[in-house]
Amino acid sequence: MDMWRAIFLIVSLGILTLDAIAQTPQELVQDAISKQQAGDLEGAVREYRQFLKMHPEAAGVRSNLGAALAGLGQFAEAITEYKVALKQAPATPGLRLNLALAYYKTGRISDAAAKLVKVHEDSPENNQAILLLGDCYLRMGQNKDVIRLLRPEHQKNPDDMAIVYLLGTALIRDHQVDEGQALVDRILRNGESAEARFMLGSAKMEASDFAGAREELAKAIALNPNLPGVHVLYAQTLQITAGPEEAQKEFKAELAIDSYNYMANLQMGAMLRQDQKFDEAKQYLTRALETRPGDFAVRYQLAAIALSEGKVDEARSELESIVKESPQFTEAHVSLSLAYFRLKRPADGNREKSIVEKLTAEAQAKQPGVKAQ
Amino acid sequence: MTISRREWLWLAGACGATHLWARQGVSTPPEPLFAEVPASASGIEWVHDNAMSANHYLPETLGPGCAFLDFDNDGWMDIFLVNSGPSDFWKPPKPVRNALYKNNRDGTFTDVTEKAGVAGASFGMGVAVGDYENDGWPDIFVTAYGKCTLYKNNQDGTFTDVTEKAGVATPGWTTSAVWFDYDNDGLPDLFVCSFVDYSGEHKFECGDNRIGKKYYCIPRVFRPTASFLYHNNGDGTFTEVSKGTDIAKALGKGLGVVATDINNDGRMDMFVANDTVQNFLFVNRGPGPNRRWKWEEIALQAGVGFSESGQARSGMGVDASDLDNDGWQDMLVANVDHEMFSVYENNKDETFRDVAQANEVAQATRLLSGWGLKYFDYDNDGAVDLILANGHPDDMINEYSMQVKYKEPLLLFHQGDDHRLHNVSDQAGPAFKRFFPARGLAVGDYDNDGALDVLIGNNGGAPLLLSNHAGKGNNWLGLRLEGVHCNRDGVGAKICWTAGGKKRYRLKNNGGSYLSSHDPREVLGIGSALKIDELEIQWPGPGKQIDKLTNLPINRYVHVMEGKGILR
Repeated sequence: MDMWRAIFLIVSLGILTLDAIAQTPQELVQDAISKQQAGDLEGAVREYRQFLKMHPEAAGVRSNLGAALAGLGQFAEAITEYKVALKQAPATPGLRLNLALAYYKTGRISDAAAKLVKVHEDSPENNQAILLLGDCYLRMGQNKDVIRLLRPEHQKNPDDMAIVYLLGTALIRDHQVDEGQALVDRILRNGESAEARFMLGSAKMEASDFAGAREELAKAIALNPNLPGVHVLYAQTLQITAGPEEAQKEFKAELAIDSYNYMANLQMGAMLRQDQKFDEAKQYLTRALETRPGDFAVRYQLAAIALSEGKVDEARSELESIVKESPQFTEAHVSLSLAYFRLKRPADGNREKSIVEKLTAEAQAKQPGVKAQ
Repeated sequence: MTISRREWLWLAGACGATHLWARQGVSTPPEPLFAEVPASASGIEWVHDNAMSANHYLPETLGPGCAFLDFDNDGWMDIFLVNSGPSDFWKPPKPVRNALYKNNRDGTFTDVTEKAGVAGASFGMGVAVGDYENDGWPDIFVTAYGKCTLYKNNQDGTFTDVTEKAGVATPGWTTSAVWFDYDNDGLPDLFVCSFVDYSGEHKFECGDNRIGKKYYCIPRVFRPTASFLYHNNGDGTFTEVSKGTDIAKALGKGLGVVATDINNDGRMDMFVANDTVQNFLFVNRGPGPNRRWKWEEIALQAGVGFSESGQARSGMGVDASDLDNDGWQDMLVANVDHEMFSVYENNKDETFRDVAQANEVAQATRLLSGWGLKYFDYDNDGAVDLILANGHPDDMINEYSMQVKYKEPLLLFHQGDDHRLHNVSDQAGPAFKRFFPARGLAVGDYDNDGALDVLIGNNGGAPLLLSNHAGKGNNWLGLRLEGVHCNRDGVGAKICWTAGGKKRYRLKNNGGSYLSSHDPREVLGIGSALKIDELEIQWPGPGKQIDKLTNLPINRYVHVMEGKGILR
């Protein structure tokens, strides 16, 4: 053992010993709780950890440690602690909800939703869990789940504007514009608000009134620039009615509020890929994938980048996986066909090409101008 | 060091040469690269009628095409302009007709439409000029929504409608067409793009009737159709030969076509731009064992069928040329706004890669919708340049878009010493600062000064004639090719010339752009070189004659006959 390592060990052990002498384990925990309540989160974390070295089985204290870490923004470590605590004491009140919150904060929306479903099953009256779960569904694009979850809640609490907002947004996105519009009117009756403008913008977007949507969303941003999702929708109107620079500025504004916003990351990645800025694109797409693991759209973008970069076999592998899971994804079949041809596998390339033709014909047959004839 | 006129003008602008002129007492600004020739100067008073209605029938927004042609064989390019006309959705309240303008050889034109008998009687779209009888007189094929028309040149300033007799009465809605000899039998054949199935007594309309606005349907909503290939029987008639081939199997919404040879096998292939479905690259595989001609559609595997996101785009204008002077044909396709145009570089293995980003084309076209376009060497420095004519198909786009407008600017790209296309629209002249509902575009040297001029058809408006002032500082040689064994127009001829230590390649493609037809002559730019050291012409089949020419004049047009050389 070298001298420096020996000195370090002595000093460390000395501190532990002194602490152990100064406080009983119970005093240590009480002190940590006091520190946490007083806002000294780092001190609380240090003392919780000292305690857990002595009593690693204390699930409640570990849960507190997770909360303190979350308070410090160290969500990954918080998640680790919550998971251990949950394994030790699955019935600890609030623990699963805290884990879900940590997942939510790190953009792991599908993981958060999975935990919240369990919380909701165990405690159907937990309004926080309901709202959070509704928001998770909305972020994942599962509009029908939002409606299924919140419609009964809205009947029970018709004046809960948070529910009205989430449900209204989901209805509009699910093309149930009339019912969604009625909820927008509820919010509008309460006076001018960013939420109402946001919902109006969503409704106009659904109706392909892009200029109208752009106007409403600009007003929503003026009223509350931190309203979740508002910059993303505004950016999407700008993608259609303006240019990529304007849209990118808004996507970045959303990411400044919520760096794990799925749509902002996906769209930024896709736009940068189109500009052949592949490294930058990959950063956004990787983050989008963290939010929605396994998401086809993100994986397709990454596969398309691989194809453009000449990593044809890597692209082929991912595209094969995508079309297996999503056989109707025409663009993925196009790219997979191209990958096969580049890999000198014409039989496979032609097979995929036939699938592209079949899917294209099916989509064409559904078009209104075809049906009208 | 030598410097071209274009470079000098650019440098003058960049270096603040205005002061220099002022000191020297020169008060006029430099001549623009392209100057608009007003109707008052050209005599071209004709205006396109797009038949725009509240119902917004889709054919209203697609025309018109235009052409440079020398219909009277006097050595001067005349002009043909296509108009709309009666159809099953429109009865013109006043007479509407095409226009044929004879070149008066002094910068003005005279309308000879009525005498020529080419006024048309259907809802015209585009024009393809070719000498299908190999008699040395250009004939005119006019595509249409409704009845397309083949006008046979009577060699006396008049034409006869021979559509039915020739067997090219193509049903449906035809757009661009191209003459080329696919089987190298010396007779030009005809390919006709077919757009969507717009049949039906009651036209499907798009729009929000609640607010009383209808808009032009995106072609996605309509059924695709197969295009047509007509084989020239050599007796003034044609046989439709696409049945059983990939051409008939490929259901598209064709808007643009260029005939070119993408694999240097001596057989002309075709690249077809489709709107909202994938583009088609029909590779000519020659005669099959059953004597039926084999066409293989390879756009997907060639990398030109879809965007790099695997999506079909709204392909409209197309062209091909040897952009990088490596002896292989590169291609170009224009799309609608936000889809960006693609510049396809030939990988020499029947695949292509999109280099639009590296060529400044992607960035410049992101918000534009491109129709007429042409690869051409506008300043005769020997390198291929590019012009794009743009305009959004939706006349109400201004109401919901902040940046995309119905009328759009023209774009001009110059190929620099770095072999990349650079956007020089800012220096191209006042016309490039204006906005147009542009559709067709043709290039041709109407004043025979060796600098290729540009004609643009505007939807619902007057055509735009641009006189080229950019090529005057450089030297050139113009070729009027005359095939003897091969097709008379020499389409498919490979031209190679050496001047100033540089070897250049040109394939005499045909078609390209959108709904339009170009000056059939080839102008070979040689920059500041004072002579062409060698010129080689490989004529297409059946003869495949190779002519090597020396002692060539410059700065004039010459008539070159297959196997005979320059006719004096």
